[in-house]
Amino acid sequence: MLTIKKEKALPALSTVRATPAIGATERGSRRSGRVRRRRTLYVLPAAVFLVVMSGYPLVQLVRMSLANVTIATLQHAWAYVGLQNYRQAFGSPVFGQALDHTIIFVILVFGVGMAGGFTAALVLRGGGRFTVFLLALMVFVWSLPPVVNGSIWRFLMDQYGLLNIVSRGVGTGTVPFLYSPGGSIYSVALVNAWAAVPFTTLVFRAALLGIDPVIIEAGRVDGVRKWQEVKFILLPAVRPTAFVLGVLMVVYAFRSFDFIYVMTDGGPGTATNTLPFLGYSEAFTQYQYGLGSAISVIAGMFILVVAVVYSRSVFRHEKAK
Amino acid sequence: MSKGHLLTAERKRSRRLSNNVGIESPGGVTWSLRALLLVLYALPLFWLILTSFEPPGNVGGSAIEMLLFKPTLESYRAALNGGLLDAALQSLIIAGGTTALTLGVACSAAYGLARVTASGVVLILGALVGLQMLPQTATVIPLFQVFGAVHLLNTQLAVILADAALLTPWATLLLRPFFRAVPEELEESAALDGASQFRTFISICIPIARNGAITVGTLVFMLSWGEFLYAINLILSPGKYPLSALLAEQVTEFGSNWPNLMALAAVTALPILVLFIFTYRFLRSGLTLGAVK
Repeated sequence: MLTIKKEKALPALSTVRATPAIGATERGSRRSGRVRRRRTLYVLPAAVFLVVMSGYPLVQLVRMSLANVTIATLQHAWAYVGLQNYRQAFGSPVFGQALDHTIIFVILVFGVGMAGGFTAALVLRGGGRFTVFLLALMVFVWSLPPVVNGSIWRFLMDQYGLLNIVSRGVGTGTVPFLYSPGGSIYSVALVNAWAAVPFTTLVFRAALLGIDPVIIEAGRVDGVRKWQEVKFILLPAVRPTAFVLGVLMVVYAFRSFDFIYVMTDGGPGTATNTLPFLGYSEAFTQYQYGLGSAISVIAGMFILVVAVVYSRSVFRHEKAK
Repeated sequence: MSKGHLLTAERKRSRRLSNNVGIESPGGVTWSLRALLLVLYALPLFWLILTSFEPPGNVGGSAIEMLLFKPTLESYRAALNGGLLDAALQSLIIAGGTTALTLGVACSAAYGLARVTASGVVLILGALVGLQMLPQTATVIPLFQVFGAVHLLNTQLAVILADAALLTPWATLLLRPFFRAVPEELEESAALDGASQFRTFISICIPIARNGAITVGTLVFMLSWGEFLYAINLILSPGKYPLSALLAEQVTEFGSNWPNLMALAAVTALPILVLFIFTYRFLRSGLTLGAVK
């Protein structure tokens, strides 16, 4: 419609005349096609920037993963060794252990993050003063730097920290939250989930508030119980949101390193190494840049798969519009 | 019996009437969960503030000893002497620079991609998603090598460039719907009035997408304020660290002087609090929009 109006107002602009039978819309789309191509130039700065600052480094990462790179040879010609770094990574017990930790970490952060967020959204749906304050408090905590939140929890879980003061008070003694070879990974993962819950709450809350009140009211008139309302009305209604959010949470958990770095630095020993963290520490604390790169490439492959799944679902309707 | 029935029916009816937005009046379970959330999110902050005012020898006793104390500014003074102001300045330069660069590049790209519907656009958006999801622990390895090769290590510029590269894909994806929401008629009439495309972008589209730019700008600032992995590895002398890197280094290396560490954490958090107060309403709506299309 609009393009027709424009064509009428400015006939001289459309230099390429289409046959009248095809009509004005055809000419309009051709003109806007030219405008669109010119508009695409605005993508150029970002494209150049990302090719130089992300694309090229990624190529370097893959090249380093195929070579023997140490601190001494980092800025010199690299000796290519084929897949040796990958063989070394897959063959080492630390790698398998880090893989296990990554799976525990992702499951916990995903599970607690999603369930906690949905529950918190349920109880924070109202518009009362207290709920508004509580939601703001949670989002504020979420917006704090992870290094700040991680420091607080490192202190809370320390032998002099609040959790152990309470634990000693109730008679369970001092708990080595961050110093136990088997348990530390759970501590760090739970804190990570804690930091993510405000975000999932916000998203779930928006989805819950978007449900047509008539549907909920109809259920109430029919006498459904509260848990039935949650199970049969609210949960199904937020399922599309939950899918996209769930993928984001898996990625968030997988790539998370800040809480590990601040709270345990991968330790004690190797007890809290996840795959991405292991790749980092091989490179920057063992100075095995080649091996670190190989582990990072393996971790990146996982992200690649998730990115494809995510893009397919989120951009499904792009072409149609 | 019948009276009791009547009463419950009456209560039910009034409850239904009282909430026309479909929210039950909260019961005991709801209130206990709310209380739990309050404890989980307020108590750590309270303990942070409390500890930062403790005299150094006071941590380690019982809760009562922790609560009954004479507040002291000693820890803040110690932080101030430990290069706090320099670090804050570094943080400001890095976060400010990253925000300016990311917003500039991402707004332009979001505008450029807003109306593209060709089949290739899904590929571009997918690539942005992939870049956005890459672990930072992976990208820091080649960035260390690349910045070393061009002699940019140990500069704030390296951290700004790395942070902006990390955040630009995400910022572009988040901004795109805002530029999409600009009415096409408006852009066309601007063009009819003789405005160049750049002029239309600057004085029509940017003002309309303002809320998006504020949300994204705030988040980019917050994220680059807190970023420490690039800072710790790309800046070689700890004297040039921003606050986040300083805190990360001190917590991992001398993790025992808790009042000092909590004071440093409080100072690192303070600018975020100020920013949060001014931008919460944008964040609340913008975040949910961006997360789930």
